[in-house]
Amino acid sequence: MTGFSTFAVHGDHPLGKSAHGALRPPVYDSVAFEHESAEDINQIFTGRKPGHAYSRITNPTVAEFESRVKLLSGSSAVIAVSSGMAAISNILLALAGSGTNIVTSRHLFGNTLSLIEKTLRPWGLEVRYVSMANPQEILAAIDNNTRAVFLETMTNPQLEVADIGAIAGIASAKGVPLVVDNTVTTPYLFRSRDFGVNIEVLSSTKYISGGATSVGGLIIDNGNFDWRRSPRLEDWASKMGPLALLGILRREVYRNLGSCLAPHHAYLHTLGLETMSLRIEKSCANAMAISHFLRQHEKVAEVNYPGLQDSRYNKIAALQFGNRFGGILTFDLQSRDACFTLINTLTLIRRASNVNDNKTLVLHPASTIFCEYSDKELAEMNIRPTMIRLSVGIEDSNDIIHDLEKGLAAL
Amino acid sequence: MHITVNGEANELDEADVNLARLLEIKRVESPEMIAVQLNGEFVDMESYPSIYLKAGDDVEFLYFMGGGSR
Repeated sequence: MTGFSTFAVHGDHPLGKSAHGALRPPVYDSVAFEHESAEDINQIFTGRKPGHAYSRITNPTVAEFESRVKLLSGSSAVIAVSSGMAAISNILLALAGSGTNIVTSRHLFGNTLSLIEKTLRPWGLEVRYVSMANPQEILAAIDNNTRAVFLETMTNPQLEVADIGAIAGIASAKGVPLVVDNTVTTPYLFRSRDFGVNIEVLSSTKYISGGATSVGGLIIDNGNFDWRRSPRLEDWASKMGPLALLGILRREVYRNLGSCLAPHHAYLHTLGLETMSLRIEKSCANAMAISHFLRQHEKVAEVNYPGLQDSRYNKIAALQFGNRFGGILTFDLQSRDACFTLINTLTLIRRASNVNDNKTLVLHPASTIFCEYSDKELAEMNIRPTMIRLSVGIEDSNDIIHDLEKGLAAL
Repeated sequence: MHITVNGEANELDEADVNLARLLEIKRVESPEMIAVQLNGEFVDMESYPSIYLKAGDDVEFLYFMGGGSR
C-alpha cells in the first residue's frame, strides 16, 4: 500500500482493530475524558502517559484526522485547528514575537495580510515585504531577528507561483524556517517536504473538508528544521529535540489560544480526505477547460491561470504541482460594472466567498475579500476592479461553460 | 540497577539495558510518538540503542497525543 488515494481511504489501521468492526471511526463528541485514578490523570496532564483529558487540547476523533493527514503528507507531526487562519496565527505566535520580523509577500490572502498588519504588527511584529519572484530580495531581507519566511504555494487571487525550492534553500542557509500555506494545492498536489519546506499550514475548509462542509485548519511539521536555531524554541528544543514545535504548540500556544477543531468537523474532514484526490483532479481539469474557453472569448480582456502555457508560472507550477494547476482562475472584463452584470446573470455558478468547493463559485475580489483596502493598496496587491475570481468545482465542465456563455452574452 | 522512570523508582533486573530496551520493558505505547529525556536532556530517537542506562539515571517519556511525531 503506497498510493495517496489508498492511504486516504484506509489510513494505516491494522485490520480488525476498530470497535464493533466499524469501518468508519466513531465521533467522540465529548469534552472531557475520565480516568482510573488521580495518579493516572496527573500522568496524562504531565505527558507521562498517553491519553485524552480535555477536547480543547486533544480528542480521539481529531487525533484520527491528524494521523491521517500525517500519513498523507509524509510529515513528522500534525495539529488540526479550528480554521486556516488559526493555523497561521498559531504558527506565527509560536515562532515570532515583539522585536522580531517575518519576511513575506504583499500578495497574500486578504485575511492573512490583515492578521499580520492589523493584529500582530501592533504587538511588535515587524513585517518585511519582498517579491517572492526575486530570491535575492528575500536573502537581503533576512537578518538575525527574522523568525520565519512565509509564502503561499499559489497566491490568491493573483495566482502567482514562487520557486519554493529556491526560497527554501535561502531560508535554510540563513537558519530561518520556511512556512508555506498549501491550502489551494494540498499535500496531494504539492509535497512540501520534497521542496525543503519546514512548516505547512492549510485551511482544511477548502479541498479537504469534502465540499465546504465545515471550517478547519492544519499545521504540519515536516520535521526538517533544527529548532535550536529558532530563538523562541531554544528551550523547547533542548528538552524535546525535533518535537519542539509540537511541544510549544500543544502545551502553550495552541492550548492557550483555544484553537481546537470540533470533533464533528474532524470527522467530516477525515471523510473529505477519502475523496479529495478525485475532486482535485476534476476541478483542475475543469479549470483548464474553462480557462481555454474564456481566453478565446472576445469580451474577456485577460485570463490568468497557471495552467495556460503562456502563463509566466506555467513551468514552475507544472514542476511543483505535478502538471496540475489548481481549481482557481481569474479573468478580467472591461469594467467593474461588467463584472457585476456577469456575476448577477449566472444561474449555475454560485455567488459565494470560498474556494475549492464542489460547486463552482464566483467572486469580485476587490469589493469583497479585499474591501477593507484602499485603491492604492489594491493596486500594490494587483487586485484589479475588473477582475473576477472563479473557483472551479466538480460539475460537468460544459455546464459551467454554458453558464459563463450566458453571462458574457449579457454584457 | 535502580533508576527513575517518569518520576517513579524502578529496579531493573536485566544488565546492559539501553533506552530502546527500556521502552520495551516499560511497554511504552507508540514509542515513535514520545520524546525521551535522560537526566533532563533530550535524546534523539536514533541514539536509543546506543545509550545504556546506569544506576541513578532519571528517564522521562513525554507523550504528545494527537497527530503524533516523527
